[in-house]
Amino acid sequence: MSGSGDKTTKTPADFLKSIRGRPVVVKLNSGVDYRGILACLDGYMNIAMEQTEEYVNGQLKNKYGDAFIRGNNVLYISTVKGPLADGA
Amino acid sequence: MASNNPSQLLPSELIDRCIGSKIRVIMKGDKELVGVLKGFDVYVNMVLEDVTEYEITAEGSRVTKLDQILLNGNNIAILVPGGAPEDAE
Repeated sequence: MSGSGDKTTKTPADFLKSIRGRPVVVKLNSGVDYRGILACLDGYMNIAMEQTEEYVNGQLKNKYGDAFIRGNNVLYISTVKGPLADGA
Repeated sequence: MASNNPSQLLPSELIDRCIGSKIRVIMKGDKELVGVLKGFDVYVNMVLEDVTEYEITAEGSRVTKLDQILLNGNNIAILVPGGAPEDAE
């Protein structure tokens, strides 16, 4: 179906299982960006996030303690390397 | 016609051959992404790594993302194995 038998293949299902609790960037079809900690998500790409920041045209517009995003709007979900916040 | 021809290449096979290499994803709007293909599913949702995002308008800005992304297959239009917009020119 998808991917070969080789173990370095990561299917979307594998990806979704591995990213809970991690800082992510979610981009919507509209181009708006949301950065926060991924609380949970489902196979429709519906997303629940915490400590969410909303970026429009690269500029921070809003902050939400909790955010729910309906999956049909999601263009991509990206993990982020290293600390999200400007911590020490 | 070609129903008994075993040498036919299915689209999913072509994508499968790209796993582990760079692939260029052209979206429906003015957007392209280039990254290493890690995997995909029946809906052609794709897992890409070390992705660079290109907005193909006016100047064509670039946003480079790290680690891995899950790209929703809904807006994908074309897949180009090995292609990177800059490398081509």
